Amino acid sequence: MPDPGLEQTQRWLQAFILAPEVDDQAAEAGRLVLPSLTLTALERAGVYRDMYLSRLVEALESDYPSLLHYLGQEAFHDLAARYLELHPSRSYTLNRLGDSLPEFIGKLEDLPKREFLQDLARLELALTEVFDEEESPVLTQEAIAAVPPEAWQTAHLQPIAAFRLRSFRYPVSAYLGAVDEENAFPLIRRKNTCVVAYRRQFQVQRLDLQPPAYELLTALASGSPVGEAVEKSHVREKDLFEWFREWTAEGLFQSVSGWN
Amino acid sequence: MANRWGYPNLGFGIGLRTKHYDHILATRPPVDWFEILSENYMDTGGRPLQVLDRIAAMYPVVLHGVSMSVGSADPIDFEYLRKLKALGKRINARWISDHLCWTGVAGLNVHDLLPMPYTDEALRHTVDRARVIQDVLERPIALENPSTYMEFRTSTWTECEFLAELARRADCGILLDVNNVYVSAFNHGFDPVAYIDTIPMDRVVQIHLAGHTNKGTHILDTHNDHVVDPVWDLYRHVIVRMGGVSTLLEWDADIPDFDVVHAEALKARHLIEDLGRIESAEPEYASLA
Repeated sequence: MPDPGLEQTQRWLQAFILAPEVDDQAAEAGRLVLPSLTLTALERAGVYRDMYLSRLVEALESDYPSLLHYLGQEAFHDLAARYLELHPSRSYTLNRLGDSLPEFIGKLEDLPKREFLQDLARLELALTEVFDEEESPVLTQEAIAAVPPEAWQTAHLQPIAAFRLRSFRYPVSAYLGAVDEENAFPLIRRKNTCVVAYRRQFQVQRLDLQPPAYELLTALASGSPVGEAVEKSHVREKDLFEWFREWTAEGLFQSVSGWN
Repeated sequence: MANRWGYPNLGFGIGLRTKHYDHILATRPPVDWFEILSENYMDTGGRPLQVLDRIAAMYPVVLHGVSMSVGSADPIDFEYLRKLKALGKRINARWISDHLCWTGVAGLNVHDLLPMPYTDEALRHTVDRARVIQDVLERPIALENPSTYMEFRTSTWTECEFLAELARRADCGILLDVNNVYVSAFNHGFDPVAYIDTIPMDRVVQIHLAGHTNKGTHILDTHNDHVVDPVWDLYRHVIVRMGGVSTLLEWDADIPDFDVVHAEALKARHLIEDLGRIESAEPEYASLA
């Protein structure tokens, strides 16, 4: 047979691997691939097709363990296969293969519990982002103590890089806690919840937030001075100090600036 | 026999895997060296990189990638090479290796080590790319013979001849995966000893050993078990031909405890000792311990 050339040969095999199985592929496989003593040309190329889907689904499973837990192996596999058809990998790394999965789930109108599943995927995506972020220095107690009390109004607090704030329509952090830590599973019904995902000493963490705490952190993360952020989020003074102590102890901020 | 670039014989290493991080950091086991999967450390600033920095301070480390895609018809990914080079510099990688394969075309990535058509066109193309890659990385690379499950009708070279000629023309090294030779020999019905005898041993920088899964009709390169006896026989054949060479045990699925993996790697040392060839192995670790 005439040699189709390197590029066309590679395009054919890749298309074969990525495409769903159809009836008319045996002839084309037979033209390009040698059979072995035990396998036909189609079966030999099929080894690569089978491995492709299992490898990429496995990568998504490791990024979305709670989604896998809720859906079960078979339904997760089906969801992942549909996702990969629309979002094949374009990168040398599998790290960010699932970045569009929450958005994809949000568009699946036939998927039961779609909004809950989208929220769950958004939380798990935030955790993978935090896992891979650059390491930041952490704001020290000495740096905090150096800021005079009257200067906090105009000071800016910069979060660490491994910091993601998310709000949800369902109690997905509690669901993830049930999967990870064997807590009781929450009822899956609408309930607005907020979470900050972050990394402390190279371990991924998450903290459930009350709505005013979420508003305050959102304002701080967007660059508002502390005084303005506090005012915007209607935080009680007692809560403010308690949260600030917890957040700095957890290493959520890397620097304080704009006060001197 | 020393390789032509003077890359050292590091002794008997194992592939660094997440499951063993804590054990290695806590006990500092007497492993000669570690090989890492480059892509697992290139786009993260988190724990994997922190652990790698600590391990690279204690052991010699080699970078082994799966995404260089040296045979692809697509343009070279220079951003990938930039990150790979930076990682190699960061951990003082003793060398950098990848596979004779392609991983995608037309901007996509299948994340598999896909087989090449062994044609003149593919050889010229791969030689050109390997040269550019080495220029960018500023060091000779080593390319590994992959396990393959199909052959193209258009191939006019055997795989071992293609690899040998590629290494000669591009002046690059070879990572000889003895398990892959066995797997592909079973799948395609060629003689694994003749394959090894075709490889220019002065270009072999490193050996891979691993387990596999025999499906009856074909063998899959699964890295999930002990090395089988026929692969040890092939390894012995390589050592008889070339003497001691950096040898690495891969175990990537159903990974057992660290000591089991290490013991499997040390079988290679015992085999070489039995052959009286240990004199050529001078692990760097010995001077660090």
